[in-house]
Amino acid sequence: MSFMPHSHDEEFRLNTPDAEAFNRKLDRRRFLLKTSLGLGALATGSLLGMKGLSGDKSPSLLPTDVNSTEEAMLAAIPHIAPRAKRVVYLFMAGGPSQFETFDYKPALLNLAGQDLPDSIRKGQRLTGMSASQATLPVVPSIYKFQQYGQSRTWVSELLPHTARVIDDLCLIKSLHSEAINHDPAITFFQTGNQLAGRPSIGSWISYGLGSDNQNLPTFIVLVSKNAQLDQPLYARLWGNGFLPTRHQGVQFRSGKDPVLFLNNPDGYDGTDRKEMLDYLSKLNQLQNDLYGDPEIENRIAQYEMAFRMQTSVPNVVDMSNEPQEVFDMYGPGSRDPGTYAANCLLARKLLEKDVKFVQLYHQGWDQHAGLPKNIARQCRDTDQATAALVKDLKRRGLLEDTLVVWGGEFGRTVYSQGKLTATDYGRDHHPRCFSMWMAGAGVKPGFSYGETDDFSYNIVKDPVHVHDFQATLMHLMGIDHERLIYKFQGRRFRLTDVHGKVVSAVLA
Amino acid sequence: MIFTDIITFLGRFHPLVVHLPIGFLLMAAVFNVLSYFPNYRFLKDAMSFTLLAGFLSALAACILGYLLSQSGEYDPEVLSQHRLSGILLAILGGILWSMTTGFYSRFMMISRKIVTALCILLVILTAYTGHQGGTLTHGSDYLSLETLTYQVREKPAKAEDALIFEDVILPMLERRCQGCHQKGKRKGRLIVGSYAQLMKGGKHGPVLEPGKPEESELYRRITLDPGHEDFMPTDGKTPLTKLETEMIRWWIENADASEGRKLLDVKGYEKMTPLVASLLKLPGARPLPEIGTTTMRAVNAAIPPKTDMAAVNILRQKGLTVRVMLHDPVMLDVTMPAKSGVAMRDIEKELSIVAGNVIWLNVSDNNLTEKDLEILKQMNNLEKLRLEKNPVGDNIVDLLEPLQYLESVNLNETLLTNSGMSRLRSHSSLRRVYSWKTSVTETK
Repeated sequence: MSFMPHSHDEEFRLNTPDAEAFNRKLDRRRFLLKTSLGLGALATGSLLGMKGLSGDKSPSLLPTDVNSTEEAMLAAIPHIAPRAKRVVYLFMAGGPSQFETFDYKPALLNLAGQDLPDSIRKGQRLTGMSASQATLPVVPSIYKFQQYGQSRTWVSELLPHTARVIDDLCLIKSLHSEAINHDPAITFFQTGNQLAGRPSIGSWISYGLGSDNQNLPTFIVLVSKNAQLDQPLYARLWGNGFLPTRHQGVQFRSGKDPVLFLNNPDGYDGTDRKEMLDYLSKLNQLQNDLYGDPEIENRIAQYEMAFRMQTSVPNVVDMSNEPQEVFDMYGPGSRDPGTYAANCLLARKLLEKDVKFVQLYHQGWDQHAGLPKNIARQCRDTDQATAALVKDLKRRGLLEDTLVVWGGEFGRTVYSQGKLTATDYGRDHHPRCFSMWMAGAGVKPGFSYGETDDFSYNIVKDPVHVHDFQATLMHLMGIDHERLIYKFQGRRFRLTDVHGKVVSAVLA
Repeated sequence: MIFTDIITFLGRFHPLVVHLPIGFLLMAAVFNVLSYFPNYRFLKDAMSFTLLAGFLSALAACILGYLLSQSGEYDPEVLSQHRLSGILLAILGGILWSMTTGFYSRFMMISRKIVTALCILLVILTAYTGHQGGTLTHGSDYLSLETLTYQVREKPAKAEDALIFEDVILPMLERRCQGCHQKGKRKGRLIVGSYAQLMKGGKHGPVLEPGKPEESELYRRITLDPGHEDFMPTDGKTPLTKLETEMIRWWIENADASEGRKLLDVKGYEKMTPLVASLLKLPGARPLPEIGTTTMRAVNAAIPPKTDMAAVNILRQKGLTVRVMLHDPVMLDVTMPAKSGVAMRDIEKELSIVAGNVIWLNVSDNNLTEKDLEILKQMNNLEKLRLEKNPVGDNIVDLLEPLQYLESVNLNETLLTNSGMSRLRSHSSLRRVYSWKTSVTETK
């Protein structure tokens, strides 16, 4: 047999032994394509075509209609006229104490040191960390409260800057969760389920609403580098779960280079990068045609996004145009990339570019012991920048259509965990009530919602469940949380599962 | 995939082929009857062939029918009856044919009477099978005695002229309740088909208490918590909407749950006309937001329900970001990216086509002047406008004044001065003006 170079007119033929299987597949495919022009296939084709004309999208009776239902569901969004176009979610990981921040409980001063009454605890099961304590001594906040703003809202002295923007905030003091430990609680807050594996809020939003800026990811995550890393964070908190991968949150690193490898390597000027990516995209497209794995499409999308990010990211993280006044406003640390303050400033810049969902995480709020000292540090690290973000968004007119959310995964107990002294105490996890605030698009400014009892142990008025909060957030973005559904492995999933009611009282 | 399609494709020949056995078998029966008359005695010989043709075509119809039944779009109960009688018919046809071939005559006498009796049975079975088939295809009410007495009510032209029960309530109830509360099923011994039947009620008595919706069993059941045992419709079937239950409540309370009454004749009908128009889908009626969902903010009624999506797509091609904020009515959020270099005159035509639907507009940082922004005058439903970082001055107020739904305008880093600001103060709807980094010293 004489060696004869096998010539093909096709663009893609990889003449290596490794690619044999691939080539064979291609050949078979081509054969089928060609023979499908035969008479029999022509007849079948026309029949299928006829069905197409009659409005039936799928030519088959097999359950391949999944995509079209999905498309129909997405096409119905927005269900409600949206009031927010973007969200910035400041997640205070660890569970900030409501006692030292927003839930003012003056009655506790008279009860300091007394055992938590059973009439309040009602036999609630405590965590293993404080369940074995002989006494559960009630401890009031060591920090003072004062009323601020026209709304005369009580705010702790630890949050002087937040206090100054209190008339822009919608404070909810009656959040409650189901989980008492960090990981399930934070997973519950971010994905609507205590177990890992569901898409996070940002991913749902990205999936449901798409992007307003093709050059930046729709969902960007910033984690403070200057926080005390007491409880870990996992990438799955901003993961896409079962949604297509391009909807997962893209974490920007806390350093000078927020996204690695965006710069061209030495000796390469990047002029033919576009050509290279086009070729790669064609190869991936071929792969997609052969195997139909939707993840291939995601990969193509991600390559193209990365290419666009080569110019958009250096542009957006460049702080050289920001005047000194801005850095002064966000406070110390705002010039140091990766700190909470710098992340707040970066968040504003991302929101200006219409990034839809920016999520910040600041760890270190888990104060089982030494709470007075530690919470003061946490507040010092975050208070000024948080308030500055609200103020900055407001003066730029962005608070019109940006929703700001501040909060942790649960609250803390009224009783001291560990030894209670005159100057020191700790607080254990408490999911039954805690405080959060929202500000901006669509929520009532200078408004407080929900009440807890004198011990901030139980909710006495207007409880807001985590799912209610999620439903409300979706509602503000124009999505009916009951109608954004994704079918996966035979089950239909929602961010709010089968729960959640929009808290209409907080809507402006 | 293709294989399944061939199955469906062949199956769909069933309604065609099925007429062959009907024809052949009936013809055989006719031949049988006629052959009793001397003039037509010769037809007796034709029976054998006619029956064979009927038998074979019935077999084919059975096979094709089975293929068709695989599509699963039929009522399983009727389907199984149709299948059984169809198969029996084919078998009976085969037996009759074999009787005419002389196959049996070798060991037994086939009397002519038996053949005739079987022929009668054949005709009955054909009629039954055919009717079941028709029911599967056209529905049980397609050919029924009620067709003789049924009267179609013309849709009234105006909501005011509608008969509340006949035009509004009954069609609503029929759509949601008749699946179970019909002659064939009579769940709870209630039939929802006419006013008299409702007043007769079910096993707990009448379902309507004129003037007292809360005491009317019908209203109580449809307004319970959907998780409640008594909630109707049961088994997760589509419940009535809030608007529909509201309509029923009003009818029981204000129109004494009566029949034959015009909307116009009921006191306080005015507030119900939009709802009735919407329920009847009268031309020009606007779908109403759900009652009771306080979360739903009233949407400005002046916004045109539809827009020219072709114009929207051209705007997108020309570099604008156009986001659909709502589908009905169509609300658009239009953004001209900062420093886009898009010239206003290039998009003016399309913008003016969709102007009434633009609710949010962002043209910040595009070096635009008042002259470029004349188009704003046409955007009479605009609610939020971002003009920051453009060289516009106090004259922009002339363009903003006619916009009676404008809620907020961003004039940061523009040439706005105190005089422009004071004019904006008296704007009828404007609530927030952003004037950071301008010469304005007072704020709104």
